[in-house]
Amino acid sequence: MLPVLLPLIVALLSAPATLLAGILRLRTAAPVGAAFAALAALAVLWGWTTSGGEAVDAAWVPSWDMRFDVALDGFAALYALLATSVGFVVIVYASRYLLLHLEHEGRPETDVVRFYFFILLFMGSMVGLAMARDLILIFVFWDLTAIASYFLIAFDSHKAESRASALMALFVTGVTAILLLIGSLLLYAAHGTFSIPELANVVEPGPLLTGAGALILIAGLAKSAQTPFHFWLPRAMAAPTPVSAYLHSAAMAAAGVLLIGRVYPLVQKSDTLLTALLVVGFASIAVGGILALTRDTLKQILAYSTIAQYGFVVVMYGLGGAYGAGGAAFYVLTHALAKSALFLTAGTVTEATGNDKLSKLGGLAREMPLLALGSAAAAATLTSLPLTLGFFADEFFFAAALERGAVFAVAATLCAGTTLAYTWRFWSGLFLGERAGEAPVRVSRLLVSPVAFLGILCLFGGVYAIPFERLSEAAGAVSFENATPIDATYHFELLPEYFMAAGAYAVGAFLVVSRPVWRGAALGFSRVGKVVGPERMYRDWLHGVNRLSDIVHVLEISNLRGRVASVLLPTALMVGLAVVATPSGMHTVGEVRPGQIPLVLALGVVAAASVAATFTRLHITLALVLSSAGFSLAVAYAFYGAPDVALVAVLVEIMITILYFATMRLIPYEALRKQSQLPLTKGPRKVLISILAGAFAFVVAWGALSVPPAGETVATEHIRLTPEVHAGDAVTAILADFRGFDTLGEITVVCIVLLAVVTLIGHKNPESEEEIEAGGRAEREGATVERVTRSIAGLLYLPTLVVAVALLVNGYAEAGDGFSAGVVAALGVVLRHLALGSRGHGSLPPTKMATALAFSGLAIALAVAVVPAFLGDAPLTHYPAPGASVVYLGTLEIITAVLFDIGIAILVLGVLTGILSAFTHATPAAESGEKMSYEERHEGREGS
Amino acid sequence: MNLLSALVVAVIFGSGTFLLLQRDLTRVVVGIILISNAAVLFIISSGLLRGAAPIYPLEGGGLSGEGVADPLVQAMALTALIIGFALAALILVFIYRVYASQGTMDLEEIADSEMRDAQSLDRADDPEREEVPEEKQDGETDDPEEETRARR
Repeated sequence: MLPVLLPLIVALLSAPATLLAGILRLRTAAPVGAAFAALAALAVLWGWTTSGGEAVDAAWVPSWDMRFDVALDGFAALYALLATSVGFVVIVYASRYLLLHLEHEGRPETDVVRFYFFILLFMGSMVGLAMARDLILIFVFWDLTAIASYFLIAFDSHKAESRASALMALFVTGVTAILLLIGSLLLYAAHGTFSIPELANVVEPGPLLTGAGALILIAGLAKSAQTPFHFWLPRAMAAPTPVSAYLHSAAMAAAGVLLIGRVYPLVQKSDTLLTALLVVGFASIAVGGILALTRDTLKQILAYSTIAQYGFVVVMYGLGGAYGAGGAAFYVLTHALAKSALFLTAGTVTEATGNDKLSKLGGLAREMPLLALGSAAAAATLTSLPLTLGFFADEFFFAAALERGAVFAVAATLCAGTTLAYTWRFWSGLFLGERAGEAPVRVSRLLVSPVAFLGILCLFGGVYAIPFERLSEAAGAVSFENATPIDATYHFELLPEYFMAAGAYAVGAFLVVSRPVWRGAALGFSRVGKVVGPERMYRDWLHGVNRLSDIVHVLEISNLRGRVASVLLPTALMVGLAVVATPSGMHTVGEVRPGQIPLVLALGVVAAASVAATFTRLHITLALVLSSAGFSLAVAYAFYGAPDVALVAVLVEIMITILYFATMRLIPYEALRKQSQLPLTKGPRKVLISILAGAFAFVVAWGALSVPPAGETVATEHIRLTPEVHAGDAVTAILADFRGFDTLGEITVVCIVLLAVVTLIGHKNPESEEEIEAGGRAEREGATVERVTRSIAGLLYLPTLVVAVALLVNGYAEAGDGFSAGVVAALGVVLRHLALGSRGHGSLPPTKMATALAFSGLAIALAVAVVPAFLGDAPLTHYPAPGASVVYLGTLEIITAVLFDIGIAILVLGVLTGILSAFTHATPAAESGEKMSYEERHEGREGS
Repeated sequence: MNLLSALVVAVIFGSGTFLLLQRDLTRVVVGIILISNAAVLFIISSGLLRGAAPIYPLEGGGLSGEGVADPLVQAMALTALIIGFALAALILVFIYRVYASQGTMDLEEIADSEMRDAQSLDRADDPEREEVPEEKQDGETDDPEEETRARR
């Protein structure tokens, strides 16, 4: 188990560890990051050799059949090794390059930490992606790579181009990632598993496999920048060079073919999918090859070449067979080494000469011999010259094509020829010929040695390819589900592949020589692509979406009240339709028993108060009318047989009233007066809408209330079970036990609201001298009435707290629960504050403290919920178990449900005092500088 | 009794809707609070009308739950009340923030100034320029026609 998990753990830990190192000491970020990458690479090697393809398969979300299923098989080892080792090289290179880059851009050095964090996050998610065998797990890591790539491409976030390019990459790969999810769900719906090895055993060729497989393949092809999704990759060149090198060779674009290779056991059962891969692959080779021949910027040439190279891999998967699957893995490996070296070369050259255009560079071989040699080895590998690793890659490509027939063999030869043409153009343009421009400055050794190292690897592989071959065979076997014997040695007899290779060199040479002939045509192709290509469609789509959003926005804000109506009316319409569609056929008046007369009276007061609220002018009156409606409602609840609700309703009503006044206090008196003098628009339309809304509410409510309760409901079950869980009050038992999860969710929401309130209100130092003085003045002016209130409040404070505790302790047996206890306690605190002012005993706890209190309450409730999971029970199991005997402490039962309730009470107390404290400590709006007076606004409007 | 409850629910809901359509933001808040009150009353009414509080020892029908008020709707109503309070607090803070930044609580004026802000935003930062990078460095520099085209 350890050999499998260790690489993943090290890789995932590397990003936070480097971030921490970078924060503590900036200079350590690069060494720590490089060390972690190297460690992760070693861990992959060790894990692969010792575990031998072992898997760790643990339940993740068992109820949805999601599994944490990771394996360090050959396939995972290949991609994980690439991600970690190329990551190491890139970080070493970046340790020098990035400082220069930031200096050019005039940015602080501290930004490097962000770079290392995201590139290592990318590495970690690539290792995870490589090892995952559960489709949902793959999706998670897949999206993680998209996030990391977004931040990496937009590393120069001050440039609009970088941001737009990052957004484009995120859109193209993110939207298609949804297709991956949909495809996975389709497969799950049919076969009941997300596991790829299990799916491979059960899927049958057919429309389902074709559909689901196509969706998954589209995700992979888009990530590997295959036509027609290729346009994001050249754009992503806006990123710093190390990012480009990593994205192209071992991370982002490699992830696409990784996915294709991983799901290949499913894909290869469908001939349609294989044909589609062939078509897309050849199209990408053509588009990438032609465009690479027309570009002038170094990184653009390489970007289009990457599109073409992954086209080769896709074609190999499309061709299938042992050489297809094994060769594809080998090709990815080769390409990663060569392409990262070439990207780093481009970066070094640009750093040395300050130029990134091929037409303005040349003849650098004399000044930079080591760089020229290293990149020559890489370029030779890309063009698959003999004695380099790339020779075998193309040999397998040719072999796979030969197996499928002569047509494919010819096409393969032509394709391989284009590679030689643009690679030669790139390398010869840099290093051969006359020097253009100024002499290059000397660059740090750290910018050259990574290229040389990668070049040596390429040459070493050309002589002794066995390790690469083993790794690729193991990887291919996972994709192909059979052994894929590929033979990476030189043969002395003349294989047909050798003739094809010779043909490819000839085609390449011809393309190089005949450049003047086809250049115009290639440029024309590039121009046509600009006008009608997929990138154009993407932009049009983006503009369309933008315009739509603008239109909706303008619609929204042009008439805010109209929008309220536009929500209400369709709702009413739908409700009306529902009522018409499902007639209950029962509308009973229902008897009014003599005992219910008080209830009727209370309801009457509620109705009257609500109507009164519609024509009240002054805000104070409005608040009082509102609270009288609320209090009457609370009375009604009590008569309904809901003492708990009534209790909480009274308390909440008090709090809302206080809060309302607290808000009014923050707004200057003149504004309020102006507001209350606004005409109460009683347009016939508004009255009609309100009456309609009321009518709909009436129809629905009457229809629903007329249906008699079914005999045996959940509620009866709850009542029956209440004594079993040692409770007396069924409502409390439901809140704390039966439906504890609902309560947990609710209190979390309430906590978040507290945070939102505190954040939004923004407060100044509560104990400023001025405020205290102002409070004192107000108090002096407050005459004798205040003194009476004050003494009453003082007397009431302790009793309220006692009542709160009593409610809490007794809640399980009688009326009351955590909510009411919390509200009562808060009420005591608030009452004292209102009476005594913000001085001495009357001051509310600081907002921070209240927030801490609220969250500690949440923590208690969460702990009660989670701890049973560690004891092997379902979360939120309460102890002692139902029916078992309970220890009593006086009248208090010692059960965990009570503890849950205590958590709720603390939380409610914290939230209520926190919200009120935030309001009282807030700066009244008139004083806060950001406000513009009404007159000023008016003037501004007239001026414009 | 259920007719009566439904009527009261309807009256509260209608009044709330009327307030929701007003220009004054504070009235809108009162409207929202009233509507949530209507919802709670509806929930409570739907399970009640049956008898005493669901607290042991039960009055009336004993263990079967006959003649006892429905505890489940009460639990839901409790939840709704607390969340309603939290929401009211949040909306009140929003009003404060709106007033602090716009200097008014009149929806008409807020809509006007939003409109103006949106327009000035449009002018300042054209999304087309933001989202689409200029296609530079494309094509060959030794092709002057292509170069100018790219620049444009």
